[in-house]
Amino acid sequence: MTMQTERFSSHDYMENHPQVIKILVWTIVLIVIAAILVVVGIVNNRLDLAILLIVAAALLVVAAIVNNRLVSAICLIVIGAILIVVAIDVYTLEGVIVKASKSFVNGLALSMLLFLMVSGFFLIFGLCDVINFAHGAFFMLGGFMGFVIYLGTEALFLDPNLPFLLLFGANHYVMSVFAFIVSALGATAIMALIGGGIEFFTIRRLYGNSIAQILLTVGFMFIITQAAEIIWGPPQFSYFIIPGSSSQLDTFFMGGVLVFGDIIFETYNIFLIFLGFAVGGLMFLGFRKTRIGLQIQAGIEDKEMVEALGTDIRKLFTIVFMLGAGLAGLSGAVLVPMIGASSGHGLTYLIYAFVIVVVGGAHYGRFEGTFFGALIVGLSIQFSSYFIPFLENIIVFIIMVIILIVKPGGLTGHE
Amino acid sequence: MKNLLEIHDAHVYIGSFYILQGVSLVVPKGEVTLLLGRNGAGKTTTMKSILGIYPPSEGKIVFKGEEISNLPTHKIVNKGIGYVPDTRRIFGTLTVEQNLIISRRKGTSKDVMEERLELVFDLFPDMKGFMKQRAGTLSGGQQQMLAVARALMNENDLLLIDEPTEGLSPLLAKNLINALDRLKEFATILLVEQNFRTVSKLGDNFYIFDNGKIVHEGDNIAELIADKELVAQYLGVSI
Repeated sequence: MTMQTERFSSHDYMENHPQVIKILVWTIVLIVIAAILVVVGIVNNRLDLAILLIVAAALLVVAAIVNNRLVSAICLIVIGAILIVVAIDVYTLEGVIVKASKSFVNGLALSMLLFLMVSGFFLIFGLCDVINFAHGAFFMLGGFMGFVIYLGTEALFLDPNLPFLLLFGANHYVMSVFAFIVSALGATAIMALIGGGIEFFTIRRLYGNSIAQILLTVGFMFIITQAAEIIWGPPQFSYFIIPGSSSQLDTFFMGGVLVFGDIIFETYNIFLIFLGFAVGGLMFLGFRKTRIGLQIQAGIEDKEMVEALGTDIRKLFTIVFMLGAGLAGLSGAVLVPMIGASSGHGLTYLIYAFVIVVVGGAHYGRFEGTFFGALIVGLSIQFSSYFIPFLENIIVFIIMVIILIVKPGGLTGHE
Repeated sequence: MKNLLEIHDAHVYIGSFYILQGVSLVVPKGEVTLLLGRNGAGKTTTMKSILGIYPPSEGKIVFKGEEISNLPTHKIVNKGIGYVPDTRRIFGTLTVEQNLIISRRKGTSKDVMEERLELVFDLFPDMKGFMKQRAGTLSGGQQQMLAVARALMNENDLLLIDEPTEGLSPLLAKNLINALDRLKEFATILLVEQNFRTVSKLGDNFYIFDNGKIVHEGDNIAELIADKELVAQYLGVSI
């Protein structure tokens, strides 16, 4: 008899019809989005645009629910068209082209450097099984190191008692190039040493004890962040390299702009894209072609077997920590001219690192997911800062939630 | 020095489980020694304790006259031990060639590896055809060839080979046994094998494990095969 009553419970019905749950969840999400949009539309006196956006949101739900790639693709194209129409309506055609191209270039630059930062985080997690909560702090400290080393190097170059001034002939552009190279390499080296040191002296004792590792790396995050706050002030202060102000040189080597009619790109951001590709390419080659790169990849798969083949896995762990922290330092340092150096970056970029790994899908030893995750995060931050500034700080989380509902394993992961 | 490897009264715990309960055995130089026994009897654990993966809490392990019981795995292996694990454990994301490249130890010159590669191609001619293939996409037999080839990239004195014919078709298993037979001239072999009749031609020394102890040892495997009672009691196979 009890069997009979249970057969009709709603819980069982739901379990047997997962599609119903999916539709229900999406309807609720849709209603929430629609309500927000209607309120925003009424406040701004543009209910027509709000309705268009609700249609776009509904199409997104359709694209997510149907099991048909063609229909999904069509929905996404229509959504893109609606967004473009809304954007043109709000910002005019020229405005949209200017904003879109700027956010694309800046977003790509940010993405490439985020990718470098997160691949360090990902490597440490993949090989050592350590979730490095201090990684954002490494990135932040790398920024300050880059900033300080740049200013210190230019001071050396400008010192009349040293031979550098004669060597460069007071050519500030060349000085700036060299100071930048020194600052990028210096920040990388210092962070690699700090990361390697932290691994060698502390984390090394805690392999296999994940709770202790989390507490330890969280501790280092706070220590580094607090130290930065004591030295450079609270997160409200951002330090930029400004020729003639914070910097004594009268130029920053890539400080100019490229002008295409109405569209103005900062040269530095284009340089960052190339730098990101170059370092990423080098890393890719290193993992394919060098013995140590192959050993790291093999270690991500099966640590014990790598040891049984005669490799000291602990040495590899230290190397990976140095590499990961060095990459965080490098990306922090070269991003200073774009986002500045600030003690608040530690936490912000740690969270971005998590979002990128979650969105991309944690595929063991593969970087594709991380790369796409970084692209999504970098581009969406920049696009929203130009088009919907009030969403700039939360857009990545909205996108993360949507991706996780549609693909719980992330873009490249398995469900 | 007659014995390449000696284990004296080794006691091994894995977590709180008492796995090896006083195992003593010797592996004579230049011969094949078989470890027999049911699943869970302690054969694989013996191999892993030689490798230092599960170091003995009591007793000692002596390799080439030198105690190795308390050394880390990579140092033990660098003394000249090659390991072919029971579940192959090849690196699936790397190509076959890359698997072999990282198997060459620091102390082994590239010339030696080239020579060893020739030996591998001689033993397993098929391997030439899939050197560039991702190891994860290989068939079981091909993966087993790779697992053996990996242990051959260095000039090892001792090869620990764990269940090499497991999951292979009879023909592949026979080819592999023939290959191991040829390897006898290059290294001493400690072999775990359930299917002891197929490997009986490799060597005569054997130890039978049961519940973490050695219950029987001998140097004439033909006698063992004839002893139906013993076989039924410890090896769980009837004819």
